Amino acid sequence: MSIMQYNGGSVIAMVGKDCVAIASDLRLGVQSLSITSDFEKVFPVTDRLFIGLPGLATDVTTLREQFRYRVNMYTIKEEREIEPQTFAQLVSSTLYERRFGPYFIEPVIAGMQKTPAGGYAPFIAATDLIGCLNFAKDFVVAGTASEKLFGVAEGLWEPDMEAEDLFETISQTLLNAVDRDAFSGWGAVVHLITKDQVITRKLKGRMD
Amino acid sequence: MNTLVQRFSTTGPAAEIRKAKEVLGEEDDVVDVMGFGNLASGVPKFSIPGVPDPSAFLKMHTDDFADPSCRIKIKHGTTTLAFRFKGGVIVAVDSRATAGSYIASGTVKKVIEINPYLLGTMAGGAADCQYWETYLGIQCRLHELRNRERISVAAASKYLSNLVYSYKGMGLSMGTMICGWDKTGPAVYYVDSDGTRLKGDVFSVGSGSTFAYGVLDQGYHWDLSDEEAQELGRRSIYAAGHRDAFSGNTINLYHVKEDGWKFIGNYDVSKMHYDGPDGRGGYGYDLRVEGKSSANPPSSA
Amino acid sequence: MASASVYRGAGFDFSNTVRNSFLEQRGVPLPKATSTGTTIVGCLFKDGIVLGADTRATEGPIVADKNCEKIHFISDNIRCCGAGTAADTEFTTALIASNMEMHALSTGRKPRVVTAMTMLKQMLYRYQGHIGAALVLGGVDATGPQLFTIHPHGSTDKLPYVTMGSGSLAAMAVFEAGWKPDMERQEALDLVTAAISAGIFNDLGSGSNVDACVITADRTEMLRNFVKPNERVEKERRYVFRRGTTAYKSEQIRSLVVEETVTRTGEAMDTS
Repeated sequence: MSIMQYNGGSVIAMVGKDCVAIASDLRLGVQSLSITSDFEKVFPVTDRLFIGLPGLATDVTTLREQFRYRVNMYTIKEEREIEPQTFAQLVSSTLYERRFGPYFIEPVIAGMQKTPAGGYAPFIAATDLIGCLNFAKDFVVAGTASEKLFGVAEGLWEPDMEAEDLFETISQTLLNAVDRDAFSGWGAVVHLITKDQVITRKLKGRMD
Repeated sequence: MNTLVQRFSTTGPAAEIRKAKEVLGEEDDVVDVMGFGNLASGVPKFSIPGVPDPSAFLKMHTDDFADPSCRIKIKHGTTTLAFRFKGGVIVAVDSRATAGSYIASGTVKKVIEINPYLLGTMAGGAADCQYWETYLGIQCRLHELRNRERISVAAASKYLSNLVYSYKGMGLSMGTMICGWDKTGPAVYYVDSDGTRLKGDVFSVGSGSTFAYGVLDQGYHWDLSDEEAQELGRRSIYAAGHRDAFSGNTINLYHVKEDGWKFIGNYDVSKMHYDGPDGRGGYGYDLRVEGKSSANPPSSA
Repeated sequence: MASASVYRGAGFDFSNTVRNSFLEQRGVPLPKATSTGTTIVGCLFKDGIVLGADTRATEGPIVADKNCEKIHFISDNIRCCGAGTAADTEFTTALIASNMEMHALSTGRKPRVVTAMTMLKQMLYRYQGHIGAALVLGGVDATGPQLFTIHPHGSTDKLPYVTMGSGSLAAMAVFEAGWKPDMERQEALDLVTAAISAGIFNDLGSGSNVDACVITADRTEMLRNFVKPNERVEKERRYVFRRGTTAYKSEQIRSLVVEETVTRTGEAMDTS
């Protein structure tokens, strides 16, 4: 078994019309034994920016603190909030620093990016475990169910979905993908980010 | 060439099979009965790969735990249970089949209906169990015709046990419970591909068996009523489906009584979690503490 | 982490390697990074260099990114195509681009392609192939058009037409058949497009679109998604779910709009 599957878990992010969504499952296990169903893998970075960290649970906790520290240092030095694009670069270089001894995490980033005109534009990105960035315009996936997520998302995603439609699409994509993965599931959480609010919903998922 | 050499050699698996046939006194020329090819003659003939160690060869290509990129992924991961009580035998199984982390199916029939009085359960290699227990069904029917009476559970399970023992070390994988009702009353035998055969009251087999045993041992006693026993079987498989990643999806419940087995029902594990079998409260632990624990405080707090 | 200090040394951090090699010893295979099973090419023509690349990034058998950028910026007049481990090509070219800018600033001259080539080969040699970057470096400088390939172990070639990556054989076949000295710009661009297309269609590790870059003495033209031979057809049906399909157990809404109401308390100040 790969170390990436040791604890299980999956994350997905999708772009909609003037909104983004990021969702994760809630399972934490040790190989086949499921331990808890309240292990969230998506964490807030700023008001309109979230990071999902699927992979080895010990590294989820370590990297979350590492990113919190680095984002705080950035905020203090720059006297402004970090933008999603900048944060993606920060994540990328943090992981590449450990090119020859990586953390077993494949981060997913979702947020609303400030535009020069003063508005907000949706932003998503994902990296592999050594920090190779992937800026997608539609959706990004990671975790033990990533293959299944790719398949379902490729079929269900479409451009310019309104926030509530995006919620249904990302939720159904995640729930149906994790139902075919032994190491993901046990409930899910979705964060729906628009320019002026963040909606967090805990989904009713299969518990087996 | 290799198979030819093996056919006439005095050592090696093929020779062992030949010897076993002589011991059982089966005729070589009885072929193709009921679509079973050359298998109706007691101990069947299989072509063995022309390698020194057939089971190592099989393992090399099928062990996805050691090598995730192996070509053949055998489906495994299961929870099955059977127990004997006053009112007969309860047989309960889950319905999930996994290949690696992929849930290949959620609707597998893991109880094999050997005949109206005998049930077999399926854990380990799905094909091995299905094939040999169906084959056992043929032999049980032949026993009935020859002896004008139904085969006992002890005899049927011993037949299977002897059969798989003749293949020992060649890569068969099955952990099964042969359950039924005969002259002695309700009976449960555990048979596996190592050749183990055990008589007992309570058995559970598969990756989720430890979880099932937990609930089963806690709730089991001989004088259970039929309803209580069925609920215990259901609740035990639910526990395994909940905690074990390789078990789940649905529960199949059977009850064997004096007049043969009866299929009680198919229950969705998730539905059991949230609603329970009769919609009057689910089995889920988190539902019982909702609004009562510090992590999830009451709304008034 | 070496320390909690704000100030940290440059370079790689090896503090996880003990843990990870322990896991490897225990028989846990280490996961794969994104690689660009790629077709990248470069070719010399009358006035300069044309570089080309496909846009597929793969993770094992999965297409991780359908439209990634493999032609990296080195300086205004130099570009570099990358194949191999995606993160390595990305960071190696970024580092050399930075060093080239420093070098240009300190010498006060327009940077040369050989300089970038030397920096890259010295760095890759130092890492003995552990940095899995296979590069095609091209540009035009004071010495004219220059084209190089750099292999992960640090060896280099200087040739008039080059290909690299898993689709290099398909692309080279096209070059061998069609390349001739002193081609016109359009001819060279067409040849590069044909070479990359050969990789896209014949190599499973390469795919999607053709990126190209034309570098001449007076300007550099980046032709992102120059040809898109694999546009996805529009879906025939829409699969939007009816709102309310997904059951949820709880909802929390966090408003980011600061609402303020001013409540006047007490008497207004006497301003008479």
